[in-house]
Amino acid sequence: MAYERALRQLSEYVFEIPVGFREDMRVPARLYADNELAAMAAKDRSLAQLVNVACLPGVVGYALAMPDIHEGYGFPIGGVAATDGRHGVISPGGVGYDINCGVRLLASNLDADEVRPFLGQVMDAIAAAVPAGVGVTGEIRLAKVRLDDVLEGGAQWAVSAGFGRREDIDHCEGGGRLEWARASAVSARARERGREQVGTLGAGNHFIELSEVVQVFDAGAADVFGLRPGQLVVQLHSGSRGLGHQVATDFVRSFQAVVRREGYQLPDRELVCAPLGSSEGQDYLAAMSAAANFAWANRQVMSEILRRACERALAGKVRAVDLRLVYDVAHNVAKLERHTVHGKATEVCVHRKGATRAFPAGHKELPSDYIGVGQPVLVPGDMGTASYVLVGTEKAMSETFGSCCHGAGRVLSRSAARKEVNSLELRRSLEAQGITIRAHNLGSLAEEAPAAYKDVERVVSVVEGAGLARRVARLIPLGVVKG
Amino acid sequence: MPYEELTHTADISLRVWGASLEELYESAARGMFGIMGRPAKRTVARLVSLAAADRESLLVDWLSELLYLHETNGELYDHFEVSVKAGAPDWALDSRVFGGPGKVTGTKIKAVTYHGLQISFSDGVYKATLVFDA
Repeated sequence: MAYERALRQLSEYVFEIPVGFREDMRVPARLYADNELAAMAAKDRSLAQLVNVACLPGVVGYALAMPDIHEGYGFPIGGVAATDGRHGVISPGGVGYDINCGVRLLASNLDADEVRPFLGQVMDAIAAAVPAGVGVTGEIRLAKVRLDDVLEGGAQWAVSAGFGRREDIDHCEGGGRLEWARASAVSARARERGREQVGTLGAGNHFIELSEVVQVFDAGAADVFGLRPGQLVVQLHSGSRGLGHQVATDFVRSFQAVVRREGYQLPDRELVCAPLGSSEGQDYLAAMSAAANFAWANRQVMSEILRRACERALAGKVRAVDLRLVYDVAHNVAKLERHTVHGKATEVCVHRKGATRAFPAGHKELPSDYIGVGQPVLVPGDMGTASYVLVGTEKAMSETFGSCCHGAGRVLSRSAARKEVNSLELRRSLEAQGITIRAHNLGSLAEEAPAAYKDVERVVSVVEGAGLARRVARLIPLGVVKG
Repeated sequence: MPYEELTHTADISLRVWGASLEELYESAARGMFGIMGRPAKRTVARLVSLAAADRESLLVDWLSELLYLHETNGELYDHFEVSVKAGAPDWALDSRVFGGPGKVTGTKIKAVTYHGLQISFSDGVYKATLVFDA
C-alpha cells in the first residue's frame, strides 16, 4: 500500500509521512507506534485518514496519531490536530459524533478482596440503577430541570443539583465545563434527544468497570492520585448520548455549505470545517462545548447514582464505602489551548478524536493537589485484560499538543467480532477468569471482546517509550456493566 | 438483499444499491435497520419530507431523520416508500415509513457520516457506500 511505503521511521516510536507525499498535505503526518502497531495501522484506512487530516486549512505542526489509532471517519480514531486559533478552522469531523465521550476513575476506600464476595450483588445494583441502552430514559427526569443549565453548567450543574461533591469538579478536566458553551446554539432536535438521557450509559463501547489496582509503577504519583495496590476502583466510560450525536449531525450538515462558500478543497466530506472566526465556526464551538458539558453532567450524575448503588449493595457487609473521583478526561473534543508552535506561544484549536489530554506537572489547568505530578491520563483497556493510569509529561506538551492515547484501540470490526466470538461463551470465559459481566444487550457483548482490541500493554509501552506519559498504576477488571 | 456489510474497524460500513434513487434510499434504510433490529409488529406509519443541496446530503439527512424518529419514539422501521424529486436546485424526498415499537437487538447506530460518500450510477444501478458511527 502506498501509505505504508510512505511511512518513514524517525525514531523507535515515531513514524512520519512527509509533506509532499500527497500534494494537498499542509503539514507532515506523524504516527506514534512500534513496528507491529505501525503495520496494524497500515491494514485499514487509518493512514489515509491521517494524511487527510494533514490537509485541513490552518493545521499547524503535525497531524498526529496515537498508537491506538484505527480507522474512523473524517479523522482516524486516535487522531490529534491543532489548527491556528486565528486563521485556522474547527472541524466536527475532528471531534466525532459522541462529543466528550470520556472516562472517569473513582477510587474507593475498600480493598478489592473485601468486596469480591459481594461482587454479583454490587454489579446487579449498578446495572439496575444506571440504564444503558440508547434512548432509554434515565433515573433523572429533567422535566423540572432547565436543560440550558445542564448545557452551560456541565458537571458543575450536576453538583449544584445534588449529584456529587464540590471536590469532584476540581478533578474533572477543565472543571467539567467548557466556557465556550452556549445553550442557544444547540438545536431543538438535539435537546429533544438529550432531554431524558442524563444519567444513562449508552450502548457500544460504553461501560462501568469495577477494577483492582494490581501494580503501582510510580509510588509518588500514585499516592497523590490516591491509588494503592489491592484497592477497589471504578471506571466509567460514557459521553453526550443522542444530544451530542445530533449536534454533530447538525453541524456536519450545515458546514457542507460553508466549505463550498470558503472554496475549501477537502479530501473527505466528513472533514467539513468552518473558519474558527466565522459565525458558523463560533456556533459549532458553542454547541460542541454545550454537548461536552452535557456529557460531563451525565458522567457526574451517573457517578452519584453509582455511589448510592454501591452503598446500598454493600451496606452492613463491609466498611462504609466511599468513592472519590480521581479524574475525568474527555477523549472526543476540540478545545482552545495555548501551545508552542515553531517556538512561539500560540492559541490553537486542539482536536482530539479518541485521544486524551496529557498535561505535565506545573500546568495551570491542573487541580492544585495534582500540580506537582501532572495530569492523570486514563487508558481503559478491553474488558478482559487491564487498564492503565498514566501521568502527562513535558514531552507530550512539546510534541503532541499535550495529548496521549485513549485506550487499546480496536483491531477487529464489530461484524468480524460477532462472527468470531459468541457472546454467551465470552461471558462464560470472562466469568471463569473471575470477571463478573452484566450486559444490557448481551448480543453486542461479542463486539467488545478482548480479541477485538489491540494489546493495551503494547500501546502503553509506546506512549511511555515515546515519553508522552509515564505509567502510574495498572488495573485489572473485576466486573463490567456493558451498555 | 440490496445491501451488504463491508469491513470497517471501528464502525459499520454498508454498500447499498438500487435500480433507481428511490430504491437506493429504501435499501439504505433497510440496511441501517437490518443492523439495529426489526420491530415485532408493523403498527405505525410516519411521514418524512426533506430537501438537501445534493443527493449524498439527502441520503445522510434521510437516514439521520430515521435515527432521530427511532430514538425519540422508541421505534424500529422495516418498510419504506420513497419518492425523490431531482434538484432544481434542491433535491427533495418524501416518504412513508412503517414500523413499530422495538428495542435495538443488534448494533446500535449513533449517526450517519459523510465519510467517503458518493452516489454512483452505472449499468443501470445506483450505488453508495455508507459509514455509520456505532
